[in-house]
Amino acid sequence: MKKVMVGNHAVAWGAQRARVEVIAAYPITPQTQIVEKLSEMCADGTLPARYIKVESEHSAMAACIGASATGARTFTASSSHGLVYMHEMLHWAGGGRLPIVMADVNRALGPGWNIWTDQNDSLSQRDTGWVQLYCETNQEVLDTTIQAFRLAEMLDLPVMLMLDGFYLSHTAEAVDIPDQDVVDEFLPPRVSRHKLDVNDPHAFGALVRPDSYMEMRWLQQEAMRQVPRVLETIEADWNRLFGRSYGAVESYRAEDADLLLVTTGTVTSTARYVVDQRRAAGEKIGLVKIKMFRPFPTEQLRMALAGVDKVAVLDRNISPGHGGIFAEELRSALYDLPNEDRPQIYGFVLGLGGRDITPAVIDEVIERTKQGTESEREDLWVGVNS
Amino acid sequence: MPDILMHKTAVRGVPQVSVSQTSTLVTRTGSWKSIRPEYHDRMAPCNQGCPVGIDIEGYMNLLREGRVEEARDLLLAENPMPSVTGRVCHHPCENACNRRFLDGAVAIHAVERVLGDLADASPAAATGALPRVERVAVVGSGPAGLACAYHLARFGYRVTVFEAALQAGGMLRLGIPEYRLPRPVLDRAIARIVAQGQGVEIRCGARVGSDPTWSELTSTFNAVCVATGAHVSRALDVPGEALRGVQRGLDFLRDVNAGARPSLGRHVVVVGGGNTAMDCARAALRLGAAVTVAYRRTRDEMPAIAEEVEEALREGATLSFLANPVEIVGPAGSVSGVVCERMALGEPDASGRRRPVPTGERFTIAADTVLTAIGESAELDGLPADVTTSASGMRVEALGGTNRVALFAGGDVTDLERTVADALGAGKRAAIGIDRHLRAVANNENEATSADALRFGGGNVSAAQWTGRDPIRRVAPVNEVVGLDDLNLHHFARVPRQDDAHLSTGAAIAAFDEVNTGLTKDQAIAEANRCFNCGVCTQCDVCLIYCPDAAISHVADGEANYDVALDYCKGCGICVAECPRGALTMTRDRA
Repeated sequence: MKKVMVGNHAVAWGAQRARVEVIAAYPITPQTQIVEKLSEMCADGTLPARYIKVESEHSAMAACIGASATGARTFTASSSHGLVYMHEMLHWAGGGRLPIVMADVNRALGPGWNIWTDQNDSLSQRDTGWVQLYCETNQEVLDTTIQAFRLAEMLDLPVMLMLDGFYLSHTAEAVDIPDQDVVDEFLPPRVSRHKLDVNDPHAFGALVRPDSYMEMRWLQQEAMRQVPRVLETIEADWNRLFGRSYGAVESYRAEDADLLLVTTGTVTSTARYVVDQRRAAGEKIGLVKIKMFRPFPTEQLRMALAGVDKVAVLDRNISPGHGGIFAEELRSALYDLPNEDRPQIYGFVLGLGGRDITPAVIDEVIERTKQGTESEREDLWVGVNS
Repeated sequence: MPDILMHKTAVRGVPQVSVSQTSTLVTRTGSWKSIRPEYHDRMAPCNQGCPVGIDIEGYMNLLREGRVEEARDLLLAENPMPSVTGRVCHHPCENACNRRFLDGAVAIHAVERVLGDLADASPAAATGALPRVERVAVVGSGPAGLACAYHLARFGYRVTVFEAALQAGGMLRLGIPEYRLPRPVLDRAIARIVAQGQGVEIRCGARVGSDPTWSELTSTFNAVCVATGAHVSRALDVPGEALRGVQRGLDFLRDVNAGARPSLGRHVVVVGGGNTAMDCARAALRLGAAVTVAYRRTRDEMPAIAEEVEEALREGATLSFLANPVEIVGPAGSVSGVVCERMALGEPDASGRRRPVPTGERFTIAADTVLTAIGESAELDGLPADVTTSASGMRVEALGGTNRVALFAGGDVTDLERTVADALGAGKRAAIGIDRHLRAVANNENEATSADALRFGGGNVSAAQWTGRDPIRRVAPVNEVVGLDDLNLHHFARVPRQDDAHLSTGAAIAAFDEVNTGLTKDQAIAEANRCFNCGVCTQCDVCLIYCPDAAISHVADGEANYDVALDYCKGCGICVAECPRGALTMTRDRA
């Protein structure tokens, strides 16, 4: 069934098709429509889930942790300061190996107060033990929401999926809502290995001594290491059932390119348009979209980028005192390539706080990369009126 | 302490989380506590405040669950005529309702009326009582007499009611105008009472004392209940009271209620501030008169039901306060005005109301008719000579007993409160007193049960508890009345009280049609949903949900609906603090 819907509703439909059992959430712009839609679905019976109203995002994640610990399929959504407020609880979900799925609508952090999109909210949750997936279209948002539960539940890892504030959250596109029976085939009911059960009570999250703590973290990392392979099989299955797949990393018109753009989220769509124009003009330019940020897809990126002359990374985020976060992580991932295969990496910071990234902006990125010299590759800001 | 270790079977791909291998049940945290929660139902203030002794909270709870017929039957267990009281009772229950502190008292009278009309539309339910051979006479068919007969019939007795008037109903029929209590409603209520048990026989036109005599009655029946009411209007005792156009308010109402439409002239002055005065005023308005009510105190001191005062004002009556009639004047033997003295409020009197004191200032209110309504008293002369009376009526014990064996009394003829609800409650007490007496005689034993054991708080006795056939309570509530401080209002959303529908004022005073048209059944159920169920566990699960130790669980057949696992309850008291309705209390742990 195809429907025209905004990205926020695509998330809600994804959660509904995944047969979520518990939702605990607190509203925040531009995420609110997600939980509004879900509360409507709970109220009208479309989604027979328990919807828990809470007084803060910290409590929302705490409630999700409790619910997920009992074995329930659990979902929440947040954004910006709400997500940042959850930070402590995100560690408890990650370390507790609870397969919670959360949608984060990417929104800048204040001050200055700003409701528009950038990625600093989710990227500052980098080390909480959550898988992070950045989406480009509303269809990808819906599909990823469902896939995220299977990934999370197979590996006992929480999964966060991102969509750009307003560019996806409030923009309507035609979206295919997959049939429930096919989704059921794709996503079986959750089977949990450790269950919080009042009739057989055990202490959860209790004291772990130095002789064991490190093993717990090692096993968490082991699970993270398996994500790329498991996601690949999940996507193959999804493709078999629905004829769509996205990949942790996607190359677009990258064959024989000597300059590749590296993008995330909705910037990718604009960049595809620019690439098409440049290709039509005979330039060897393509792009590589990074969907998965955690775990970082080092192997896939090495394969996608080895041997290219120049790579321009478009970072809609900033690590103050360092630079764009994707560029820095990518630089680190490609460092071990042989000298002859290692591309020059140009890190551009742009589009913060919702500033528009138009084809002209991307053209500027391409031109500056083409003209770039060895000494001017990091922390390159685009469009700043200084 | 449980052995907190990591999952030892960890291999690659198996998640390791910090979960204890041993069950935490080994840690009996309950051993730390010195206090613990206890479930015991307490008394809702409405139940305590009801002179009839109705389990209002109980029927609200049933109605909330949509168990309409059970709610009706629980109401009928205590109240013989809810369709009547739903219309005319002064509803002290609502004045006691804790919801008045949030968003308005539950409209109990309106819910009662809906259930009452439902009851009158269906045949009498069996009570499960075995037929008794004893016969009981009830003298008077007002609310007290009918209530006594009703409960006795439900206890299994054969009852004969003697009524001096030509129709049953007493003051309900003679005193209360049709626009408050339509006669078909009263007739249906009486018909249902007559159909109880082995049947109630009502003999109208039979004035006890002459035919039959008291001695004939006491020799023919095993017990007698006197419920003859208070039908004597008090005199004003001012000059001019004998002028043409001066009438006792009760006489006027009796005529109007019998269908007469007397000509009153242009100006009518009603003297008094009680319900009879309001009935006179509103009836006179319907006969086309301009009505002034002269009352010697102020509105705050008026004994009339507040809604009646409001209705009288809305319908156009003028209330003249601090006006004490001192003389009725008129030329040629007919009244033309009432001379009043202006009063001022002084110190409180024995009733707690501020006493009116004269100021010396006089004024005259024009009048073609004066209706006096300053109170009624009981006719005590016709009673058996040896009964004990006070100045205002017969003296009775807690269960209606008099100084004579097997002679009981209730209602306005006694020296207790004079309202319809009090009369119904008194009739029930007398019925229980008679049942207790006759069973004691039959079994040759003492009359053991005290009235206090059957009371709702400090309120009236419960027939359901007396017969032991209470359909909903496994255990009688503790006689502690739940106040606002015992409730947790955070669990209740604000929902405004629903007002009864009313005729427009123009339509109301054009005829004697019923003014208050009540609530619908759905509205009544919505009102029942507003009930806090003060002090009574409704299995709302708040305690179970909030218990941080998961120590509370459901019980199918216990005295309480929940069990507290005392091995694990730490006595934190969260359940007690969170209970919305005060059905849980903390008590000292048994050492």
